[in-house]
Amino acid sequence: MILPILLLLPLLAAAGAGAWRGDPRAVARGSAVTSGAGFLLSLALAGQVLREEVVGFGRGDFLRADGLSAVLILVVSMVAWISLTCGEGTLRRARDRKELDDAHLRRYYLLTNLFLFTMLLSVTANNVGVMWVAVEATTITTAFLIGLEDSREALEASWKYILIGSVGIALAFVGTVLGYFDFVQRVGETSHSLNWSVLAGVADRLNGDVLRIAFVFVLVGYGTKAGLAPMHTWLPDAHSEAPAPTSSMMSGALLVVALYAILRWKVVVDACVGSVFTDRLLILTGTLSVAVAAILLVRQVSYKRMLAYSSVEHVGLMCVGAGLGPLGTLAALLHMIGHGAGKSFLFLLSGNIREAYGSTRIASVRGLLRARPWTGGLFLAGTLALLGLPPFSLFVSEVMIFRAGFLAGHPAVTAFLILLTLVIFVFFLGYVNRMLYGRPPAEVPAAPESRPLELLPLAVNLAVLLAAGIVVPAPLLRLLRLAAGVIHP
Amino acid sequence: MDPAYFTPLCTLTSSLVLLAGIAILWRHSLPAYIDSFARQSFFFVLVILAVAATTGTRELYIVAAMVFVLKVVVIPRLLHRVRRTVGADLEIHPYVNVPFSLAIAGALTLVSYVVAAPVMALSDLPTRASIPLALAVIFVGLFIVVSRRSALTQIVGFLVMENGIALLAVLATYGIPLIVELGVFLDVLLGFLVMLVFVHRIRETFDTTDVDRLRKLRQ
Repeated sequence: MILPILLLLPLLAAAGAGAWRGDPRAVARGSAVTSGAGFLLSLALAGQVLREEVVGFGRGDFLRADGLSAVLILVVSMVAWISLTCGEGTLRRARDRKELDDAHLRRYYLLTNLFLFTMLLSVTANNVGVMWVAVEATTITTAFLIGLEDSREALEASWKYILIGSVGIALAFVGTVLGYFDFVQRVGETSHSLNWSVLAGVADRLNGDVLRIAFVFVLVGYGTKAGLAPMHTWLPDAHSEAPAPTSSMMSGALLVVALYAILRWKVVVDACVGSVFTDRLLILTGTLSVAVAAILLVRQVSYKRMLAYSSVEHVGLMCVGAGLGPLGTLAALLHMIGHGAGKSFLFLLSGNIREAYGSTRIASVRGLLRARPWTGGLFLAGTLALLGLPPFSLFVSEVMIFRAGFLAGHPAVTAFLILLTLVIFVFFLGYVNRMLYGRPPAEVPAAPESRPLELLPLAVNLAVLLAAGIVVPAPLLRLLRLAAGVIHP
Repeated sequence: MDPAYFTPLCTLTSSLVLLAGIAILWRHSLPAYIDSFARQSFFFVLVILAVAATTGTRELYIVAAMVFVLKVVVIPRLLHRVRRTVGADLEIHPYVNVPFSLAIAGALTLVSYVVAAPVMALSDLPTRASIPLALAVIFVGLFIVVSRRSALTQIVGFLVMENGIALLAVLATYGIPLIVELGVFLDVLLGFLVMLVFVHRIRETFDTTDVDRLRKLRQ
């Protein structure tokens, strides 16, 4: 019964936010509670999946959670809870400064909860058609969140996002239709022919040529939402213009949800034509994404855009990992968790930095460690984690991905990837360095942190990054193995 | 319906759907685009009705009715109304000029035949000859989105693309399951409405719907 409750919680919170006419702070507190409960339930669900392997709900298992879904549910719930609790202060103070009004805030909580619901539905829907509908719905719910602040830039970013996102996702639907067509031709129509579990089960009887075409459409389509190059062009705009907690959820959770959709289809295609075809495509797109991110990170003026390009890099790495066999896939899944924790951490802190300095330009931020010691110190820690330094979990997963690359017989590509991550490391750290030290500008109030306690939930992110970095906890490792086993049966 | 008539009928109506899409590329005014889209949707309804009558699938009649109400009546009307309020009538200086656009549309149709070859080979349905046409509609819609600069024209391009996908679903599989179809409809409608809201906001903020003027974020 955990599964349906998990999906019901954000719907309830959204209904509350939509109906409530009073103080928006009550809505904020409500969302913090429901998303916190959701996070705890996602842990319980992971335990249930470890025991039963597959958890289903509804007629013909309308909702279905296996190891892979459980990992994604964990990431989504964790990032959502962190964003809804830590981001609350940023939004509340924006309202105090009259940048946002009560209606904005209520709309924010309504849409954010719906956004959370659509992400959870995407990773638990058994029907690939419903999965598509849910991923498409994330575009609709987030478009207004990006444009929450009504600025010209935000408007431009939302238009780009909704247009490119809708077109991309439409292409993913072509892939879905072709897969369904293949199934109906070869197996005939059954009541659950679009169910993922049914498709994967009979995949060896399907037509390989049609499935290959379908996969290309799926990769381009969901790849657009996942921010894979060359379809990434909307991402830096959207992620940098959205309010900090929204950027945190879009970057930490939504990108991997789209990647999840690609992986689901990969299983079906692999069962029919072997994994060489999809692996090659994933390695190619992934490497291209890391390369594009590295090139664009070299010259950055905005720290939020810098974080956005780093998302392109990390999704690219996950994509490569998923194309490198069981070890690489395990690493990619661990990377999803680490990136979710690290990126939401940094985006939420970026909201505080912007509040203190009134700008998202790297050049405007000086002396962060002196002006805001907590925010600055945590930002540095998060940066080191995100750049893949030990003892953080992204170090482990990146080393695993590179190892898998050499073992799978791709030494040139792997060496190239290592080079690119080094370039990103140098430039990213250089920019953060400039923000941290120096003399804070005179107009930044010298007062210490207004509310360091507000940053407390971020301790969960740090704990996740450290725990999985020093020694991956046994249950988590079992869950990751289970999930990797779904992709490589 | 006798397959001897059914196959040519499908090819004919699907070709009309494609032609109505290509017509958008050689017209210059937004009212003409919107009317072309409405016409295209109407031809698409004819395809669905032909398939429904031949196969006797009741679900397809529901789909046909929904497509008619939504894409032939409601969406074109909404588009015309928005067009009048934002006062954008002409698509001036598209990124790609008309003769070249038509040449590309022709090339895209050829590509569709190549891509669809394995799909046609696998199918034993009498509708299989029209499958490349549906793919071509999708590509033409995509091309309209990337080659035109007015936000409203881009929306029309997206809708054309969407028609192509729905056409593909009907021709290749006689329609996807109704629950998915309903979800897709809802999504497309919502996405379309969100886009319209943004057209209004772009117009209010930038005083134009030429998205080329939106260039603050380029780098």
